[in-house]
Amino acid sequence: MSDVVPALLMLVLSAAIAFDTRSLSFWDDTTPGPAFLPVWLAAAGVVLFVLRLLEARRSPQAIAWPERAALVRIAVILGALAAVPLLSPVIGLVLALALFVTFLLLIVLRQPLWPSLATVAITAGLVYAIFVGWLGVPLPKGVFGV
Amino acid sequence: MEALQLLGQGFATCFTPLNLSFIVIGVLIGQIIGALPGIGPAAGMALLLPLTYGVPPATAVMMLAGIMYGGMYGGTLTSVLVNVPGEAASVMTAVDGHKMARNGRAGAALSISAIGSFMAGVAAMIAVVFVTPPLAAFGLKFNAPEFFLLALLGITASASLGTSSPTKAFMAALLGLMIAMVGVDPIQGTQRLTFGQQSLLEGIDFLPVAIGIFGVAEVLASLERAQAVQPMRTRLRDMWLTAQEWSQSRLAIVRGGLVGFIVGVMPGAGPTIASMLAYVTERRFSRHPERFGHGAIDGVAAAESANNAASHGACVPMLALGIPGSASTAVLLAALILHGIRPGPGLMTEQSTLVWGLIASMFIGNAVLLILNLPLAPLFAALLRVRYAYLAPGILAISLVGAYANTLGFTNVWIALAFGIVGWFMIKLDFPRAPLVLALVLAPLLESSLRQSLLLSFGSLKIFVDRPLAAALLACVVLSLAFPLVSALRRAATLRNVG
Repeated sequence: MSDVVPALLMLVLSAAIAFDTRSLSFWDDTTPGPAFLPVWLAAAGVVLFVLRLLEARRSPQAIAWPERAALVRIAVILGALAAVPLLSPVIGLVLALALFVTFLLLIVLRQPLWPSLATVAITAGLVYAIFVGWLGVPLPKGVFGV
Repeated sequence: MEALQLLGQGFATCFTPLNLSFIVIGVLIGQIIGALPGIGPAAGMALLLPLTYGVPPATAVMMLAGIMYGGMYGGTLTSVLVNVPGEAASVMTAVDGHKMARNGRAGAALSISAIGSFMAGVAAMIAVVFVTPPLAAFGLKFNAPEFFLLALLGITASASLGTSSPTKAFMAALLGLMIAMVGVDPIQGTQRLTFGQQSLLEGIDFLPVAIGIFGVAEVLASLERAQAVQPMRTRLRDMWLTAQEWSQSRLAIVRGGLVGFIVGVMPGAGPTIASMLAYVTERRFSRHPERFGHGAIDGVAAAESANNAASHGACVPMLALGIPGSASTAVLLAALILHGIRPGPGLMTEQSTLVWGLIASMFIGNAVLLILNLPLAPLFAALLRVRYAYLAPGILAISLVGAYANTLGFTNVWIALAFGIVGWFMIKLDFPRAPLVLALVLAPLLESSLRQSLLLSFGSLKIFVDRPLAAALLACVVLSLAFPLVSALRRAATLRNVG
């Protein structure tokens, strides 16, 4: 079943492209319009959807999904990653990243305290030194001014 | 001889403190990235691309290229000492290299890998020096139809070569093309596929997609389970090769390098296919093919020479025609574009200093890597003892800051995260990621040259067969599309005969 899902997603993407470009011109007098290539790509998407369905039916693929614990770990890491852009405007990007690395090492990966704190300090220091100090990238600062 | 003069100027470009230090930093990072399981050279290049914003374009590409071929050297360490390939192109090295390590010859496996990679890398660069200029001059004859077909060939070849399922590879490439359509139409300036989102008006950048697809996805996949790596130990005195080992390996290096360079030059193929092909070729040439898989040093030599030669060979179509041959060269090409340089056949003449500086830097980088991988190999082997758990959060943090620094906005961070999830699913569902990235890089050239061609021909498709060069390229595209079909039919016929 799960090897059919990408084919279905390809079909949905193709339909979305066809829908969004319906108001754009396919051909203007002697030249292709903005919808020309997207429409061809949507058509190719439909062809690949059919081919993938046939392929999946002929030789179904056994997918090695991770165990439940690993899936939970991935979901938690993704949640923590998503918290970084949400927290950055409030506490600043460097501090948000430091919190993220601390959470990942201590809570998710269950590493010892002191090496983890050293890793946090090195990571935050490197990000600050390279991006702010060297490249002069204005990273968002939060209420703490960092 | 003009090529040699220009190469001399290239060396002069390299021998500045800034460029030399960036070459060394690049190969050092490449060596480390290659050695780390779970992150390949393309990912490393994408992650570190934002770090090059503060340096001149020539310096930036020298460093990024260093990561690309440095990764080929570094991947050997984990393959030999842990039996886990540091990156995909070292898979074949693990087959015999780890067996050698278990037989007490880890040092010899690392030595022959370093020597083979160096010799094949330098030979490939000599070939690049003489092959690239005439190819670029030939490319200057290209017009819109040829550029369209060349870009199309880059995509179809990457999708049809070396993948278990061409359908999946074509789906990945199509997704890359679809992503590239988002934003504003390049000719008429009309909004397209933005679904009413203002943040998508400028399109989806290459960098956050590459950071997500390679960097975030690979770290997520590696963090599924706690990795307890137990590398085998090696000492400096173990690195000496015996006369018999050298005599078994020397022709394997020549054959591996040759196979690697040819495969590398082909659009779409890459170091992984090159090393597999070289390994199979070497087994056929060997007087004792039964040793392969049980610690054959010639198998290690062939695979390692091939992957390094291929990574250098992939620079030929990238520099001469602006067509990347692999995921790594796609990132290199994107770096050129981000630094405001237009790739294509004109690059060799318009950016002569940059191109020849880059080529010269690869000679220097290979020499540095030989030093890093012969006397300093035990030191790098010790690095493998650093737990991945301490590196992964840092890689993810740099991914997010890199995506942010690209446009100084969080949209790119969200895009990187979204493509991190897409990439993770692609890994799980065995979808190749390189065709997506290649298609994303080639899409602007593909679309603009297709529309220019049809404008020139008043909408007639005959323009793609009337011009001899275009017709030849079209034949190559058709062949690349037919290749997986013919292979599938042959497989089915074989199965029927066996049944």
